[in-house]
Amino acid sequence: MIEYIIRRLIALIPIILVLTLVVFSILHMTPGDATVIILGSEYTEELGAALRKELGLDQPMLVQYAKYVFKLLQGDFGMSYVTRAPVMDQLSVRLVNTFWIVICAMVLCVSLGIPIGILAATRPNSVFSQSMMVVSLMGVSMPIFWLGLLLILLFSVYLGWLPSSGMDQGFLSLILPAVTLGFNYMANIMRTTRSSMLEAIRQDYIRTARAKGVTEHAVIYDHALGNALMPTITIIGLNVGMLLGGVVLTETVFSIPGTGRLLVEAINQRDTPCVLGALVVMAFCVAISNLIVDLIYAYIDPRVRAQYRR
Amino acid sequence: MADEMKNTLEIKGLTIQYVTGDEVVHAVTGVNITIPVGKTLGLVGETGAGKTTTALSILNLVPDPPGKIISGEIFLEGEDVLKMNDKRLREIRGNMVAMVFQDPMTSLNPIKTVGEQIAEGIKIHRKVDDKASLEQAKSMLELVGIPGGRAGEYPHQFSGGMKQRVVIAIALACSPDLLIADEPTTALDVTIQAQVLKLINELREQSRMSMLMITHDLGIVAEVCDTVAIMYAGRIVEYGTLEDIFDHLRHPYTKGLFDSLPDIGNRRAELKPIRGLIPDPVNLPPGCAFHPRCDYAKPECSQQLPAIKRISDMHYVQCHLYADTDMSML
Ligand SMILES: Nc1ncnc2c1ncn2[C@@H]1O[C@H](COP(=O)(O)OP(=O)(O)OP(=O)(O)O)[C@@H](O)[C@H]1O
Ligand SMILES: [Mg+2]
Repeated sequence: MIEYIIRRLIALIPIILVLTLVVFSILHMTPGDATVIILGSEYTEELGAALRKELGLDQPMLVQYAKYVFKLLQGDFGMSYVTRAPVMDQLSVRLVNTFWIVICAMVLCVSLGIPIGILAATRPNSVFSQSMMVVSLMGVSMPIFWLGLLLILLFSVYLGWLPSSGMDQGFLSLILPAVTLGFNYMANIMRTTRSSMLEAIRQDYIRTARAKGVTEHAVIYDHALGNALMPTITIIGLNVGMLLGGVVLTETVFSIPGTGRLLVEAINQRDTPCVLGALVVMAFCVAISNLIVDLIYAYIDPRVRAQYRR
Repeated sequence: MADEMKNTLEIKGLTIQYVTGDEVVHAVTGVNITIPVGKTLGLVGETGAGKTTTALSILNLVPDPPGKIISGEIFLEGEDVLKMNDKRLREIRGNMVAMVFQDPMTSLNPIKTVGEQIAEGIKIHRKVDDKASLEQAKSMLELVGIPGGRAGEYPHQFSGGMKQRVVIAIALACSPDLLIADEPTTALDVTIQAQVLKLINELREQSRMSMLMITHDLGIVAEVCDTVAIMYAGRIVEYGTLEDIFDHLRHPYTKGLFDSLPDIGNRRAELKPIRGLIPDPVNLPPGCAFHPRCDYAKPECSQQLPAIKRISDMHYVQCHLYADTDMSML
């Protein structure tokens, strides 16, 4: 198992190399570079050329890239073109904010989505289940920025209960962004849990369990749930990427200084090291969450576990 | 009352339908079955005849929806299963009556060890702790010919035949009074088939367990059954002792079943499969459902449902051919 985890982490390296190369090339090809933005109205040809030389932007792209990767592989994210400070310093501050929003959203979604999904499957005709299915339909179809604005209008402007922006009120500041970010995610978890639960309950082994005299509660939570959770866990893991994409929008709507907004700012300023730094960290998070999903899979399903032993 | 207690199972006038949308599948219609203590009844019929549905109803496990038990009574040791509350149902399931399901491949939970799955019923009905129930599960495994040490393995680590044995071990774990075996050997190769049958027979003799054996294999019927019910399109068309059915069969369908068996003594004899196909249970033919395939069909066969004709105490047949026959003359 440990060997498997190490192999997966090593497999990450080529993925990150390709990712950085692609982003590097795209940023290289977009018109305008960091010097124009840094110098602003003071920009002249000579000043620009000097700065470009200082930042190493005068070298061929592949040379720049090779230098970057060489450092990256040693864990050095380089210096920001704009602030001239290590990218890691900026990132680490921003990551904390993003981390809390994402964790809050995930905890909220998983702890609500799975139980609601189970209820919707086991009591399909109750008013609760029906209304939850409507909510989940809204969840999968409502764009994040629109939902965020509605929530701000209701809870900040009209009711005045929760802050509309920033991170200075601790947990209270997290509620609206987490709900905004997670709504779609929760709807997905709910729907997946519901449909895989419906599927599991129809299986023959459920009938076998009932024929043994197992209580209905144990039939659902002991026999069906374990099997039904597999697709849900896949969705939880796969959608971490989506969640991180949503972070960019959420942080913009709620003016939160997080990784997502850092990324947007860095792109606007053509701050290549900063963009790459944020992306590498995000890619790493997605890969880790996929790895965790696979491990949970193996924990639940003996057939998957058997594959890893080989 | 005393009379009922001699029968482990008594099904009276059982009718079950599957209702999907505006279609109604007449799966089981007016079935009567009696199994005395310690006896085995064979339920024989082609695919789709309603055998599994009948069996599931004894555990009150017909999936609803779409399944609906329209009418009938199912007395298990004198108590109507269809009138039991959930608690009582849980008490009898796996304890008084247990079922070996048709498809061993899908009947086991893939994420639980076979030991756990056998132990579960023991834990529920014998009220013993995890450790004791697992010990008993191991001895159940050994009883069906699997080393007890494999109790910690998962279903995917077992072959089809071994899974079938595990399913049997689950069913036998609490020594039920009635064992329902739904084609327990169709998934197995011939040698394993024989072993499993031998096993079931031995266990039955040891514990005076009654059994409902569902099969379409007349060889198995001859080997293990005391009485036989021939089912066609949801109805029992002929019912009698093993001897009645094998030596004095009356119904053209029963005859067809026997004619479609190869004859070892005369291998040149042509196989005579029953012509045509089993009817669509949504649109059963009027009258006797078998008439479109019957070589002896008369005009009234397509118009009127034949009455049940008693040939002897145990033997009856539902066929127009015998409507006017004086049974004492046969
Ligand atoms: N869940 C269900 N929904 C709808 N129709 C069903 C369902 N289960 C069974 N049926 C129908 O009821 C009829 C009887 O089915 P049943 O499974 O009892 O047959 P069987 O005699 O056990 O056949 P086999 O030998 O193939 O196992 C069939 O026509 C079948 O299509
Ligand atoms: Mg069947």
